Amino acid sequence: MKRLASGAVVVLLAVALGGCRGSDAETGESGVKVDVGVTSEPCPEAVNKEKGCIYLGILSDLTEGPFRALAVPITDAQKAFWKRVNNNGGIGDYEVDVTKYIRDNKYNPQVTNQVYQEIKPNILALAQTLGSPTTAAILPDMKSNNVVGSPAAWTSAYAFEDVIIESGANYCIESMNALDYAAETYKPKKVMAVHLAGDYGDDAAAGAKLASEKLGFTFSDVKTDTGTDKQAGAIGALLSQQPDVVILTMGPADAAAVVGGAAARGFKGRFIGTSPTWNPALLQSPAGPALTALYEQSGPWGSWGTDTPGHKAMRDALPGKTPSDGYTSGWIWSYPMKAALEKANSNGDLTRAGMLAAVKQLSSVDYEGMLPTGAGNYAGGAQGTFRQTQISKVDAAAPTGVSPVRPLFEGPTAKAFTLDKPCFEQL
Amino acid sequence: MIALLEGIVRGLGVGSVYALLALGFVIIYKATRVISFAQPALMLAGVVLVSHLAGPLGFWVALPLAALLTAVLALGIERGAVRPMVGRPAFVVAIITLGVDVAIRVVVNIFIGLDVRNVHDPWGLDSWRIGALQVQQRHVAAFLATALLVAALFAFFRFTRMGLAMRAAADDQEAALAQGVSVGAVFALSWALAGALAAVGGTFATAGVSFDGNLWLTALVALPVIILGGLDSLPGAVLGGLGVGVAQELVATYQNDMPWLGGNVSVITPYVLMLLVLLVRPYGLFGTREVERV
Repeated sequence: MKRLASGAVVVLLAVALGGCRGSDAETGESGVKVDVGVTSEPCPEAVNKEKGCIYLGILSDLTEGPFRALAVPITDAQKAFWKRVNNNGGIGDYEVDVTKYIRDNKYNPQVTNQVYQEIKPNILALAQTLGSPTTAAILPDMKSNNVVGSPAAWTSAYAFEDVIIESGANYCIESMNALDYAAETYKPKKVMAVHLAGDYGDDAAAGAKLASEKLGFTFSDVKTDTGTDKQAGAIGALLSQQPDVVILTMGPADAAAVVGGAAARGFKGRFIGTSPTWNPALLQSPAGPALTALYEQSGPWGSWGTDTPGHKAMRDALPGKTPSDGYTSGWIWSYPMKAALEKANSNGDLTRAGMLAAVKQLSSVDYEGMLPTGAGNYAGGAQGTFRQTQISKVDAAAPTGVSPVRPLFEGPTAKAFTLDKPCFEQL
Repeated sequence: MIALLEGIVRGLGVGSVYALLALGFVIIYKATRVISFAQPALMLAGVVLVSHLAGPLGFWVALPLAALLTAVLALGIERGAVRPMVGRPAFVVAIITLGVDVAIRVVVNIFIGLDVRNVHDPWGLDSWRIGALQVQQRHVAAFLATALLVAALFAFFRFTRMGLAMRAAADDQEAALAQGVSVGAVFALSWALAGALAAVGGTFATAGVSFDGNLWLTALVALPVIILGGLDSLPGAVLGGLGVGVAQELVATYQNDMPWLGGNVSVITPYVLMLLVLLVRPYGLFGTREVERV
């Protein structure tokens, strides 16, 4: 028994020592402290072979999951973003690789955790973790290991997580701004949120509910499911309750089924959909005329064709690509990671703990004009969260089928709102 | 009353799609005693083919051509992945079809691309008005197409030699083999038929709407349909499909008056209906009662 116990102690010690070895900080030639995911050897596709390599992981929905149509361009844009960073000299004595540790999370929390554990020993941070339920599956581990991540999602819960460096207004704020816009433009009395369950749809619906209470609208929320064949209930609710304005949070094919299906049965209210509800190909769909007549899109930033230095750099870095705002999102989500790496490098500490410390020091991120000055205030905590939204209308002539009717603005409701817990908890 | 009638018409349209998909499952099950989980992928492949072919060739050429090509694909799966497993437990073959389903969907997703797609059907969201009643053309089209295909299928099974062979093989494989029926050909034809039906069913499921890679989930509704209709019953698949479609649409129409039922309860209607039917008839409405000696 004693022998067994001492054996167990030896094994435990070995495991503990092995675990510690991964987080032992070393100091590189330039005096920058590094630990996991940073090597003195050049990146596999290095521009300058003299430089070391910072490895960032990407967990995205690349093959068979429901958000593949957005995930693939997001990932392509991020590859192009970091290639441009490397071409411009990298981060200090390092270049950044986001190609070696790309894994398909299939938008499945279990798969996400599995592939995250697989790449975790080799990466400094996550250049992308796509989806809120998937990110939620790895968030406790990210926090305990100081793994900073750029999310590909906009839930308000991220305002409360130090390791998550989100960009743009969350769905909750976005819906508040959408209703401030609707209040001015359409003077509604009844508002309905038609949304998927979970913290994507619930977050937007909660924002619409909180804004409706403030603005004096009658509010109702209707949960729906993914699939064009599952929207009959939502259409029935629209027709029976006849809201003046509807906030939509779902995928594009489902949104078109709701808007087209309701309009075909005589519904005349207005729809404002969050950014993932839109896809340019919907213009050619049977729902195209209904969308043109009744639908607008709220979004966290200007779409592909917007005239800013960042948008231009993105378009130049992605020649020949069919315009998609998946690219815009992937590109914008990368700026805070770049800012954090630069800050950590200038602090002389590119360890995971150093990255987290750097994130907490960021009070603004340079998005090259894609988001205004003041965006990316992670030092400000939840109250520093960015609160501007753009409203766009369907426009067949625009590159992604939408053009702005109200450029980035912060409505009075969002401005006065105190974000003290995730919105979806208040639905 | 108008809402009720409109709901029934929509339900018959939606139910027609379920019937076509369920028929595919049942035909394969009758021939091989295996539930093919590759049907969702075959449906997706068929619809993607229609969406690509309808542009240059027009919808009316694209639909039969896509059905034919999907039948060939199904035939390929049967020869390549299923036939070598003859004699193995049905469970093993079913799991193989599950793998085939995922593999095909990954490939088909590449052809869906990054945008949503449309099948360019001629009906779109247009309606007819019959007095106060609004009837969407796509639902009438789906119902008529299903009626036509079901009549053709029943005639095929009743009046052709191959149809007779398929019925014989479904009844007793060894006896059919002894009588000179090519059971291999029966397997192959049943897969091809199921593939073609999946393509047509999927196309009508996407008439009037757009689709993306998630479309395959629609085919899963055929599972409660075949269970409640009877796994080995073709009339069960048709009537089960139509019944589920109508029940689902009626629940969707009235669920907002019954908020205590919970959110979007119409989505679970097929499964609730299946459970209720199984409580009364464990082998489904029209399924063969199996007698097992213990």
